[in-house]
Amino acid sequence: MSVQAVSGEAPVEAARAPSGRAHVLRRLMRDKVAFGAATVLGVVILAAVFAPWVAPFDPYLTDLSKAMVPPNEINWLGTDNTGRDILSRLIFGARNTLMMGLVGVLIGGMVGGTLGIMAAFYRRLDGWIMRLVDVMLAFPAILIGLAVAAIFGAGLTAVVIALVVADIPGTARVSRGAAMGVMGQEFIEAGRAVGVSDFTLIWRYLALNCVSTIFVFLTLRFGQTILVGSALGFLGMGAQPPTAELGMMAAQGRDFLFMAPHIATFPSLAIFIIVLAANLLGDALRDVLDPRLQT
Amino acid sequence: MGRQIVHRLLISMPALLGVLFLCFVLLQVAPADPAMIIAGPDAKQETVDAIRKELGLDQPIFVQFAKYITRVAQGDLGRSIISNKRVIEELASTIGPTVELMLGAMLIAVPLGMTLGTMAAVRRGSFVDRLIMAFSVAGVSTPVFFVGLILIQYVGFKWALLPFTGRTGPVWDGGLPSLILPALTLGAVLIGPISRLTRTAVLEVLGADFVRTARAKGLRESVVIVHHALRNALIPVVTLIGLQAAFLLGGAVVTETMFSWPGVGRLAVGAIISSDFPTAQGAIMILAMAFLMINLIVDVLYVFLDPRVQRG
Repeated sequence: MSVQAVSGEAPVEAARAPSGRAHVLRRLMRDKVAFGAATVLGVVILAAVFAPWVAPFDPYLTDLSKAMVPPNEINWLGTDNTGRDILSRLIFGARNTLMMGLVGVLIGGMVGGTLGIMAAFYRRLDGWIMRLVDVMLAFPAILIGLAVAAIFGAGLTAVVIALVVADIPGTARVSRGAAMGVMGQEFIEAGRAVGVSDFTLIWRYLALNCVSTIFVFLTLRFGQTILVGSALGFLGMGAQPPTAELGMMAAQGRDFLFMAPHIATFPSLAIFIIVLAANLLGDALRDVLDPRLQT
Repeated sequence: MGRQIVHRLLISMPALLGVLFLCFVLLQVAPADPAMIIAGPDAKQETVDAIRKELGLDQPIFVQFAKYITRVAQGDLGRSIISNKRVIEELASTIGPTVELMLGAMLIAVPLGMTLGTMAAVRRGSFVDRLIMAFSVAGVSTPVFFVGLILIQYVGFKWALLPFTGRTGPVWDGGLPSLILPALTLGAVLIGPISRLTRTAVLEVLGADFVRTARAKGLRESVVIVHHALRNALIPVVTLIGLQAAFLLGGAVVTETMFSWPGVGRLAVGAIISSDFPTAQGAIMILAMAFLMINLIVDVLYVFLDPRVQRG
């Protein structure tokens, strides 16, 4: 008897069927807020990816004769204290900020997801893995960032490591919860009964059935990860000048807040818009894919 | 109840040991040799060796960890490389302002968040509800420093209503004005999640039998909401405060740096920038312990608030 016949393939397909890509997209398009958020995020991502072609000026070109110029028809968002075009720096800065968030949730999600699924599958590992997760949870993301920066020195790498580590425990908990639910289903038992290897059971059946829950959780985490990353940038633990990164740009603008408030305001506003769009989209995705995660 | 608190304390022990171990490792894997930093760049090898021996850095790592725990238990966290003061003294002078800032933020965020959440729940589906929920989503999406920058620029600088740098003293000794803007900054970002959860919790409770009974008894709606619904909705809100502790600590580090508030967070950031490893290690350890402590207090509060937990 093949595993598919036992029921192995069926649950995977069953889980996919009602939440197929087209169905999810259709439901998201109908939701005006989600559609707006996806559009904003899409535009920001496109601008960040094609930054060298989209940015009106060189983001690193200084011109002291144009320092701290308020928004005008040439420099739409004004210039900073060294005369660099703020809009161009925002576009390049969004690149680094988005990359930090994305790498954080992707790698953190993969490691955390694997740990959670392992904990659910191998019960003897559960206690150890969850204790480790508890210890990791005792370190708020900002503290991890400070600790990593203390060890390796400030820089984008330090922030990315901190964000990855910070995203592991939450994902591990959520994926363990999802995997425990799947473990109770008959097809896992059936798979074991017909001698399917642990590797196949974990990756082909268990993980596939947990993916949507983990994906929704990570979408919701994305905004928070960006907030933590930019806060670390603001504290001087992230990208170092002259590299553009939104949090660091806001911190640099703070020194000129009373003379040229636009230098700090626009990067902060950009972070707010990106995180708001990510949160709204995450909320909508959760409602479509996994309403159980709702608080 | 005592048993539950002791049980909860015991559960925290592995996390506490983990925190200590990670803080210990922090100094071990740091690329700079602490002995060389203390000795200075021009020191002779013998001096560095002597300092290494004095610090116990020449011993096996497990021995060093055991000694580290003993030292921490005795309150010996080493000396600051920059000021040469004992780290414990530096921390002692900064813990008070940090606690003050966090309590101030909670005093603003909790009542305001709960009021907004209750209003949204009572007027579910109305314009007020949608407005409050939009404000809540905006709140969780706002960087702490953005709120701070706006408050400094307008309330502090343009309108000159309140001081925005440093701490003039404890709250009871004329320090209240200097606390308002930092506490407002930190509290503002907590209002969103608190109001959101309060709304969910109150909505759930409003449909419960005991609320229907209270209404059937002819009690005024305000009494039903405040005494029956809100009181029961407190439990998930207290849990949320525990979950938000990480957010609160992280926000405190940023807020302290922005407002030059002399707290542990600012001490940690300054120590890292100046490569003062013992101070950075001590500050990070205290912040992580504070996080564990907040969660412990929340668990104990939970036992007080929910009699079902006591019985279970």
